[in-house]
Amino acid sequence: MTAPAIARPPADALALPWRVRAAMLVRMLGIQGAWNYETMMGNGVAFALEPALRLLPGGKGGDRYRRAMARHSGYFNAHPYLAALAVGALARAELDGVPEAQIDRFRVAAPGPLGSVGDRLVWAGWVPFCSAVALLAFGLGATPWGVVLLFLAAYNVLHIGLRVWGLHAGWTHGLRMAQALANPVLREGPAHVARATAFVAGIALPVAAQGIIGPGRAVLGGVLAAVSAGAVLVTVLHGRIEGWRLATLVLAAFVLYTMVR
Amino acid sequence: MTLAPVLQALPFAVLGAILGLDVVSFPQAMLSRPIVAATAAGALIGEPGRGIAMGVALEFFALESMPFGASRYPEWGSAAVVGGALFAQVPDQTVGAMSVAALAALVTAGVGGWTMVLLRRFNAIWARRQQARIARGSGSAAIALQLGGMTADLLRGGVLTLAALLTFAPLFDAVVSTTRVSGTVSRATVVAIASAVGLAAVWKVVHTTRLARWYLLAGVLVGFGLAGSLS
Amino acid sequence: MTLELFRIDDRLIHGQVVVGWGQPCALGFLVLVDDEVAGSEWEQELYRMGVPPEMDVYFDSVAGAARRLEGYRADRRTGMLLTGDIGTMRRLVAAAPGIRAVMVGGIHHKPGREARLRYVFLTADEEDQLRALAADGVAVTAQDVPQAAALPLEELLRGDGTG
Repeated sequence: MTAPAIARPPADALALPWRVRAAMLVRMLGIQGAWNYETMMGNGVAFALEPALRLLPGGKGGDRYRRAMARHSGYFNAHPYLAALAVGALARAELDGVPEAQIDRFRVAAPGPLGSVGDRLVWAGWVPFCSAVALLAFGLGATPWGVVLLFLAAYNVLHIGLRVWGLHAGWTHGLRMAQALANPVLREGPAHVARATAFVAGIALPVAAQGIIGPGRAVLGGVLAAVSAGAVLVTVLHGRIEGWRLATLVLAAFVLYTMVR
Repeated sequence: MTLAPVLQALPFAVLGAILGLDVVSFPQAMLSRPIVAATAAGALIGEPGRGIAMGVALEFFALESMPFGASRYPEWGSAAVVGGALFAQVPDQTVGAMSVAALAALVTAGVGGWTMVLLRRFNAIWARRQQARIARGSGSAAIALQLGGMTADLLRGGVLTLAALLTFAPLFDAVVSTTRVSGTVSRATVVAIASAVGLAAVWKVVHTTRLARWYLLAGVLVGFGLAGSLS
Repeated sequence: MTLELFRIDDRLIHGQVVVGWGQPCALGFLVLVDDEVAGSEWEQELYRMGVPPEMDVYFDSVAGAARRLEGYRADRRTGMLLTGDIGTMRRLVAAAPGIRAVMVGGIHHKPGREARLRYVFLTADEEDQLRALAADGVAVTAQDVPQAAALPLEELLRGDGTG
């Protein structure tokens, strides 16, 4: 069984006006606004695509607009930032008049890889990295607002960058979006970010802990020993109980102890 | 200052609403991370320094949570506002303050995660009610559903923060008044528990990457040395 | 280690698989079993981009996977085999003896399906297929991510979508 190949988008395609792109970008910030367990971010994809679909023959409310809106409101789930690639690709496919069956097949195949790439790069990579950088800055004595601004600026360079790039690259490649996913930042980036996170977080955790506890080597030594033992325990118990739940129980026990002792 | 009266809690509820919305719905710019949210809550009281101390402790916990699709995870935005506000309202070195505030934040985070699940179910119900219009390709139905979901999430975060503060503020005062451990021990305990969760979380996300475990080990050694020299 | 995990997930390769399971379980390879994807170059290219460079992904049809299952099991790395629907997993179990446990990782909403868990929606026919799998001696559980509890089949089928 061989599926038909996807054609390269025509070079003389309709350009996407900047106002439409801007509207799509703003809407993509809220792509998960109606997230639910049935269609997941499906409605959000239709919501983000809608400004582009108004350019279809017949305009807003026309037959093609309505068919496309109905199609794109169905189940879809991907990483919210990388979903921009799918939104760009689907806008291109709709405006190029790609057969509906091919668009439907793409909507089935695209979410998984977009979710996987985004989760590795952002949730498991960039978030902990920026968090570790901010914790280190706190531990080294940066001001509260300095830490917050450093964290938000670092994080959102990638966040906004991914959304803007994703829409552009999706529009450029159309349903041949895999070419955009081959970008070295997406392929190799997570491994580099993971190593950087490991190193910076390794420094940041004890330094930030010291920043909260304040001076006192004996206390710090005890804390660091407890941290090491506790981390091993949480790792061993992984899969049976989440660390934050275990921590809640331990902390509740500690608070009770401090009240009754 | 006590936070019990509703009027006093309202600014925090507004902050919790905005930051709760950021967690998933709009714009997911990580304004809701504890290190940001607790600092902002502290700043509302005029104590951003105490706010960020709470935020750092909660940030260690938050390192563990990854918002994958339909999986359940704690909601840190509103929770960090609660933790930051409770901790920042009392003077430095108040006995037991950090442990009690952190516990309130952790419970709020868990409840917040549950409210997100609830909201997602309501979103599905609203979507089903609009199904006929959506199936006909109505643009206005899709837009209304999206904006309705975001508004509901905004309210969710606000109500959660308000309810948590009204519940925990008097409990916080009562517990702190009976606690008999020093502020330092309270902070050290929270930091030890939180850092253990944070370190395990970092290990979990990096250990499969080639050489990353050695980078982590090197970082921890440098960090221990640096922390020792700073203390 | 070996091919340890058999998962039914209609999104096939995505974040929960690659990061959620991949990192804590140190997955070295994935086997994606789907007759349509096995014959579609562009879909394979897309799924391949969803997998980190250090993880291998093999695409196979049901018949091909049944033939090569022993080879996958002989792999020293930890692996996960994925199918996009229950029917595909049933055909594989029938064609390749020795699959003792299957997890339902995600079957999402479409018309005709009832919510059983937040991430599992099933038609009556699909429920019968899961029962048939269990009757064949396969331990069927539902679990989206490793930190969630694995729910036994009876509990999954009793669910009302709130779990």
